[in-house]
Amino acid sequence: MTLYLFYILSFVAILSGLMVVFSKSPVYSVLYLIVTFFAIAAHYVLLNAQFLAAVHIIVYAGAIMVLFLYVIMMLNLNKEVEPHKPIAVKFAAVIAGGILLITLVGAMRSTQSLSKAENVNSQIGLIENLGTVLFRDFLLPFEISSVLFLAAMVGAVMIAKKDKN
Amino acid sequence: MNTLILISSLGGFAMLADILKLRKLVYPIALLGLIGAAALAALDWNGGQLAPIFKGMLEFDHFAILFSIVMIVTLFFWLLMSQKYLDDEAHAIDHIALVLFALVGGLCMVSYQNLTMLFIGIEILSISMYVLCGSNKNDLSSNESALKYFLMGSFATGFLLFGIALIYGATGSFDIMTIADSIGENYQDYNVLVYSGVIMLLIGMLFKVSAVPFHFWAPDVYQGAPTHVTAYMATIVKTAAFAAFFRLFFVFSTVTGAWLDILTVVIALTIIVSNTTAVFQQNVKRMLAYSSISHAGYMLLALISLSALSINSVLFYTAAYSIGSIAAFTVLLIVASGKNDLSFDAFNGLAKSNPVLAFVMTLAMLSLAGIPPTAGFFAKYTVFNAALNGGHTAIVLIAVIGSLISLYYYFKVIIAMYFKSGESDTYQLANVQQLLLVLTSALTIALGLFPDLILRWM
Amino acid sequence: MSAIQVVPIHFYILLSAVLFSIGVLGVLFRRNAIIILMCIELMLNAVNLLLVAFSSYMSDAAGQVFVFFIMAVAAAEVAVGLAILMMIFRNTKSTDIEFLNKLKH
Repeated sequence: MTLYLFYILSFVAILSGLMVVFSKSPVYSVLYLIVTFFAIAAHYVLLNAQFLAAVHIIVYAGAIMVLFLYVIMMLNLNKEVEPHKPIAVKFAAVIAGGILLITLVGAMRSTQSLSKAENVNSQIGLIENLGTVLFRDFLLPFEISSVLFLAAMVGAVMIAKKDKN
Repeated sequence: MNTLILISSLGGFAMLADILKLRKLVYPIALLGLIGAAALAALDWNGGQLAPIFKGMLEFDHFAILFSIVMIVTLFFWLLMSQKYLDDEAHAIDHIALVLFALVGGLCMVSYQNLTMLFIGIEILSISMYVLCGSNKNDLSSNESALKYFLMGSFATGFLLFGIALIYGATGSFDIMTIADSIGENYQDYNVLVYSGVIMLLIGMLFKVSAVPFHFWAPDVYQGAPTHVTAYMATIVKTAAFAAFFRLFFVFSTVTGAWLDILTVVIALTIIVSNTTAVFQQNVKRMLAYSSISHAGYMLLALISLSALSINSVLFYTAAYSIGSIAAFTVLLIVASGKNDLSFDAFNGLAKSNPVLAFVMTLAMLSLAGIPPTAGFFAKYTVFNAALNGGHTAIVLIAVIGSLISLYYYFKVIIAMYFKSGESDTYQLANVQQLLLVLTSALTIALGLFPDLILRWM
Repeated sequence: MSAIQVVPIHFYILLSAVLFSIGVLGVLFRRNAIIILMCIELMLNAVNLLLVAFSSYMSDAAGQVFVFFIMAVAAAEVAVGLAILMMIFRNTKSTDIEFLNKLKH
């Protein structure tokens, strides 16, 4: 049963990923990207990473996509006509993406031999286990990412705000 | 570790001072703080805590301490250089805060023991640099450079993360020591994940150091960004990127089959392409951008031999190159602000009007070109020596040809200054800038004559 | 009964490789900077999925904690990226990346 669920979710994720790239107006791209995020969050639940699925929905679908929609509405980019790259460049882009996909899939083919996981401890995705690992082993990145957020905030305000002069 | 804490609190203080109306205090305190940070880094030297700290996240070994000191000293010079520019800047305090946060990112990139710290360090450095590139808001080329650097940077981070994920899948841990051991032992069974992970990491890091196939963003970004930000990117960002590159690829020294030949081709391309395109540049800043890419090629050259000698040579190279470019960018900043034109003719007749500037610029150009008395020569000598020991004579030959080509565009500036006539008023320098010019020239000559000042530490 | 015991890890690697290539394709294909930003988010999500799959395959929580940090960085990156886009839109009235090239020369 989980195998079919996996196939459905992967199909939904790949299809909406493609629609993000090939859709006409930016708002449609945002909506398709939200569908992709929900499909990926469902994958996390399948993989017993329940807490991560919740955080994924809140951070990505909740915060980042809202930011995108907000900026699209603010810059009223919703018009249909959109400048497109010349056909040759678009063709080259598709070829490049295709070649990358073929090499990755070709390279990964030999991982079929990797055995399926046997004694899987399905408790690692729960919050108390993640909490201990986050605050015991990954304490320093947790603290240093506060510097990251501070720099991002200072930068975003400094760039986006109009100057007084 | 305490250098990291000190510099983050300096950044925090810089922004607090903005609220507490202590704006005048920020600049001197930043300078003092940097001196303190360099002293603290030196104190860690004799085994303060040589063991990795914070559960193996960071390790301040000699490699990390030396590169941190090089970056802190370069930032000290940078602050001296851009003092005049920072005064009349509306967001001067934000500039100083962002520059200090970028240094925090650089320190994490230099001393990481876990790939999470590498990733967070790269991101702090890159996000601060995206903003600094775009800080000149009404100048279109600064906007364009910020957008280009942002898109290329996050694209490269995507590849870097895919590489980290594959390596994690193969070895089961983010800690570079466990990765090195597990790659060394069971090298056969899942080497597909290791191989593709190493290639993806190589692509991601080559983007960051702007090696040739991935360098297309560098000239436009270096030219578009404000000159003092370009100086920061050419020196500190490159030093941090190379230290992280070396720390990462010493781990993969057992899998050299995967990446060494690719890297050799990249180095040959980098040196040839960047030097030949630099010859045709009319804009001095764009020429310095291409020269920075060619220096990236020389620094990568040291990595091939994978020996202790290569760490030594890269350390000396980054120090010599940073000092040389800070001097060159200072003179460029002064001349460009005087004439707001960045082509070679801006330097015409500079020797007559202000001989001091002309002398410092000549010294900087000689150091970048690698002419004997200066530090640049010895830097190139150690790098070529390291590569020759590794038995890579062909690539060293290409590097020598490349540096011969580079003589042309470095001497174009010197010729413009001394042999071309042109009117330019004498620029009066702030005493801070005079101190900087004297310091950098003295250091360039001192390192050129007594290279052991740096080499004996490693 | 986690999916990793039923679905071989090979499928997850292929799925994340496909999503990653779609992201790369999108970055190269489109001219609108906002769509390029979204495709970069898609690439990061492909990496997140791969990390969670490996983490549950090896029953080691470090992978999932690393995904936390990727999400944090992606949020900070998007904030700065959209701020840069706002600045550019204010100056050039368009988020088309070719537009800037034409203006500069």
